[in-house]
Amino acid sequence: MTFYELAMGMKVTLRHLLHYRPITLQYPHEKRLLPENYRGMLALLRYDDGTEKCVGCDLCEAVCPSRVIRVISAEVPNEPIKRYAKEYDMDMTRCLFCGLCVQACPVDALGMTREYEWAVYNKRNLHLNKEQLLAIGDRSFPNREKRLEFQHPNVAFFNLPFPGQPLKESQTLT
Amino acid sequence: MIFDKLKDEVNELLSRYPVKRSALLPLLYIAQREEGYVSEPAMKEIAKLLSLTPSQVYETVTFYSMYNLKPIGKFHVQVCRSLMCALVGSDNIVEWIQKNLNISSGQTTADRTFTLSVVECLGSCGTGPMMQVNDDYYERLTEEKVGQIFDDLKQKGSSSLKSGPFMFPQPTKS
Amino acid sequence: MSEHTTTGMVTVTIDDVTASVPKGTLVIEAARQLGVMIPHFCYHPKLAPDANCRMCLVEIEKMPRLQTSCSTQVTEGMVVRSSVPTVKQARKSVLDFILANHPLDCPVCDQGGRCDLQDFSHEYTASGTKFVELKRVFQKEYFSPVIETQMNRCVQCLRCVRYCDEVMDVRALAPAGRGTLTKIKSFGVHELDCEFCGGCVQICPVGAITSRLSMYEFRPWMLKRTESTCGYCGDGCQMTFQAKDNDLIEVNSTLGVGRNNGDLCSRGYFGYHANVHEDRLQSPMIRCDGELVEVPWEEALAVVAEKLTAIKSANGADAIGGLIASRCTNEDLYLFQKFMRVVIGTNQLDSSARYGHMNGIHALQRVQGTHRWSMSFDDLLSANAILTVGTNLTETNPITALKVKEAVKRRGAELITVEALEPAIGTISNIALLSTHHLPLAPDQFASGTIGLLKAVIQENLVDAELVAHAKDYIDAIKKQVDAISWTDIEARTGLTAEIFQDSAKVFTRAERAVILVGQGVLRSQGGYGMTLNLMDLLVLTGKLNRIGCGLAPLAEENNDQGSVEMGAVSELLPGGKDCRSREAQQSLEAAWGCSLPSGEEGTLMDMLGKAKRGILKAMIIVGENPIGSLPPDSGIEDAIGKLEFLVCQELFLTDTAKRADVIFPACSYAEKDGTFTSTEGHTQAVRKAIEPLGESRPDWEILSALSVMMDHPLEYESVKAIGKEMRDLMPGTRTLGPSPLPPRPCLDTLTQYLQEGYQDTLATRYCLPGMKATHTFVLNVGQSIFHSGKFSTRAKGLIQIQSQGVLSMHPEDAERLGLACGDGVCLENQLGQVKTTVKLSDRIPCGVLFFPEHFDQDIQRLFAVSVDNDTHVPYFKCAHVEVSKAS
Repeated sequence: MTFYELAMGMKVTLRHLLHYRPITLQYPHEKRLLPENYRGMLALLRYDDGTEKCVGCDLCEAVCPSRVIRVISAEVPNEPIKRYAKEYDMDMTRCLFCGLCVQACPVDALGMTREYEWAVYNKRNLHLNKEQLLAIGDRSFPNREKRLEFQHPNVAFFNLPFPGQPLKESQTLT
Repeated sequence: MIFDKLKDEVNELLSRYPVKRSALLPLLYIAQREEGYVSEPAMKEIAKLLSLTPSQVYETVTFYSMYNLKPIGKFHVQVCRSLMCALVGSDNIVEWIQKNLNISSGQTTADRTFTLSVVECLGSCGTGPMMQVNDDYYERLTEEKVGQIFDDLKQKGSSSLKSGPFMFPQPTKS
Repeated sequence: MSEHTTTGMVTVTIDDVTASVPKGTLVIEAARQLGVMIPHFCYHPKLAPDANCRMCLVEIEKMPRLQTSCSTQVTEGMVVRSSVPTVKQARKSVLDFILANHPLDCPVCDQGGRCDLQDFSHEYTASGTKFVELKRVFQKEYFSPVIETQMNRCVQCLRCVRYCDEVMDVRALAPAGRGTLTKIKSFGVHELDCEFCGGCVQICPVGAITSRLSMYEFRPWMLKRTESTCGYCGDGCQMTFQAKDNDLIEVNSTLGVGRNNGDLCSRGYFGYHANVHEDRLQSPMIRCDGELVEVPWEEALAVVAEKLTAIKSANGADAIGGLIASRCTNEDLYLFQKFMRVVIGTNQLDSSARYGHMNGIHALQRVQGTHRWSMSFDDLLSANAILTVGTNLTETNPITALKVKEAVKRRGAELITVEALEPAIGTISNIALLSTHHLPLAPDQFASGTIGLLKAVIQENLVDAELVAHAKDYIDAIKKQVDAISWTDIEARTGLTAEIFQDSAKVFTRAERAVILVGQGVLRSQGGYGMTLNLMDLLVLTGKLNRIGCGLAPLAEENNDQGSVEMGAVSELLPGGKDCRSREAQQSLEAAWGCSLPSGEEGTLMDMLGKAKRGILKAMIIVGENPIGSLPPDSGIEDAIGKLEFLVCQELFLTDTAKRADVIFPACSYAEKDGTFTSTEGHTQAVRKAIEPLGESRPDWEILSALSVMMDHPLEYESVKAIGKEMRDLMPGTRTLGPSPLPPRPCLDTLTQYLQEGYQDTLATRYCLPGMKATHTFVLNVGQSIFHSGKFSTRAKGLIQIQSQGVLSMHPEDAERLGLACGDGVCLENQLGQVKTTVKLSDRIPCGVLFFPEHFDQDIQRLFAVSVDNDTHVPYFKCAHVEVSKAS
């Protein structure tokens, strides 16, 4: 009886001994395949002409459950009534990677990269400012979108006339 | 001060109405008659005459398409583009004028002779397509007819093809 | 609000709820009362119905088609349905039309989160639209430094335009163009030039008109709201501070709250930045070797306590004087006077109410025995006749002016204006345009105008019959005085004929409810006390003094002038407005405070300065007041302050006076402390802390309390509420925050006493006409501009953007005569000196008068001589006669 159980137990051991198949990855020499919708480091994105997408609307700040994001928005100097984020800080030590900010963003200015190697010795290094977040975006999202107004000419999104913008016929009359 | 020399006419106008403000439209008409368009000094002067603010005069001027806020050519060509005229080809007339005078709607020719406006119904639906040049109506237009009208206007300052006069009050026949 | 002219109630059923509402109520208002929300853009309770937005359509039984609920009055048995499918469909269509052109820029719009269109779209629209057309896009035009327009967002409800016309009477905004292409503009491409009341910003249901001062700094959900009271003028407007992270972001007012009822003026709406200006003093400073150096609180307090104790023991308590600004809260004022009277032990204290408001108070006390108006603020609305004398109402007290405008425009009150104003249409509203009887006077001739009115009353036999019966001596004495003055003399001074005085006097006498508003032009001008007494005589003679809804209302310039009188922060009055010499008042106060009151003589501001000049007054405690900035050099103020051995200032900023101080304590602005303000009417309203004190600054009462502890006379309080409790115990009825109190009735004993002999002593001095200016000279008048209040507001960046410097206003005809154009340099000269400034032309100013705002240029004060009133000790320096020439 005892022997039988021992034999049964050793069966598993023997099977793994004979059909060797390692589970542990030799990180960092080898890396795991990430799932398709992996939510990694956050990043700020740009349009194809290099301008920042972020309009500083504060919606990400509002939606963030752990108060990671702090946005200070202002008017773009010399471009009346155009809004942008003067300061954009993320305290990544608190981030849950829930992705709500990405969903909340009305202009798709935030993205979740597939970066995860962000272990640091000093927590302060995880307070990222706008330049750092844009740099992450630049290296993780090389394919950039056209500016919004060129995507949907009918949505006067930025509320500003831009070169080549179609006008209503009645507006050309007077 | 354009009304300084027209004191009698202004006083006569003001005496017609129980409320001073009612004289606004006729006074604007006089201002346009004198200068060709309603200028800012004229609006300010009218405001003072009628105890209105300049903004109130300005709002009235912008409401009516027959008052011009910018200097216009000698002949103000207003082509009706409303449904009735459009059905009988006012588009062609407008296109023809634009091509031949080399101006688009709202513009004035280089020699400051013609200004083209495309306007809504001028109340002559039975005889479209039609246009109004200064105070005169020209009806049942064809491209040839318009050409001749323009030639007449350039050479003689008036054209026999006009219908009317419809201005009120009718000139009394003595 | 609709006029409830017809009485009676009607029964109305709205969405199956039946109720009775007053006849004449609009359906939308009735629905709101029944708790049914009908969406709307163009309707606003303050404005006449326009029904242009079509959002409030409802179905009414027995009426064809849908009706606009904002313009339909309820009738008996009316059945209204607001949630049936047809109505919902109509709302959807209206929104679809609006959204066909409205940009989808909510994320970057400052209104996002508190936008009517956003809310209604969430509630009533299905997603998606039938419109495929392009949206209209307006070219951006510069509008104004403080107001931003974004016309793409406009829903063309025209609320802003109607508000500007109906409520403010400014009419600066206009809808230009027509149809969907209508946009809100001022005149042509010119930038907006108006009163900048901010009403259009507040009333815009969407983000089409926004404030540039707070643009993009906030989202509505981040803001912390604090209900407080405005600290600029005596109107006592209720407003809401909106703060984010200890920074003031914006100020709002709420419909239905306070006497302003949703309205504000430019100072209230755009002036809040003065509280958080970067120049604010943030730590205590003491003078070391001639330099002011920052020190810890303990050190600064110890220095002051030691020095004051030393001066007190060496030279007696009367070697120390105190001066406080009427911008402080009641609690600060109360503790200040208690500190001076108990800890220091002197009666030498004064507040900035001395600059003029004391004239009104003394006149009221003299004749009717109250230190408050005997009418309420709302009585202005129900008045049949309003007489304003020297108020320049729309500029000094804009919200009182709104009441007067409403009384005249909506309720048909007759308005008699005795003002240094011409009825000209300008960029800001002009009360003279609304008046039924306008008596334009030079600012130094208000006394002549007042006497003219009195003469007309006597001459036309308009004297109250009852008064004739029992105060014959009084009437005869006045009759004798006015008979000695001829109409020709009056006409020579005022340029007005006897008829207009007689007409005005008749209108005033005929009115059931008549109100006199007295402004700075009277209270702060030469002979202000006499003029105010004369106006009281006008009320007495016409039999209106003791009638409900009638009275004389002196308008305070500073927000808490009235409070400083009621708190006893002036030398001749104890808390509760009691006479300082009355033994009875002294005893009750001594019992309450548990100590004896000082016996030394009273010292008003000018007395103290005189003593300082003679070296008798050694030290002064100045709280928030800047006498060097306020008083002209002719008063010898610099000399007086310079001779002081020790000067302590509690200040927000390093003012001209604070620069001379030996110790400066940084004080909190009214946005950083709790307390109360008392409006001119006598209504005490709460001031609440919106942000934490900047730096190490502390509320004034805390500083005084700490000082008292260090001077071994502890006046310790746990909080503002503890001071409030003491005030309430001492003066029943004070600091009861709530609806405005019932106004006091005139004291009949005092009145009888006045009619018997009280009038006699001043009769000869006040019934005489002021001197005339030489024909070639001008009357130079300093006063308040609508965009500023005192010197405090010049620290507000919004107000500075609107008006950054003082220029001399002059009538175009005068300018033409002197060969001056707008912007030219002019030279003003009189026996006191010569001053150069620039000139601006203004139709509002009468010929022969010059106006200069008092907020900026100290230099022009050199031209003013100071004279002190014998009775009230008010320093007068408002008018001067000058010669004008073009500067080379």
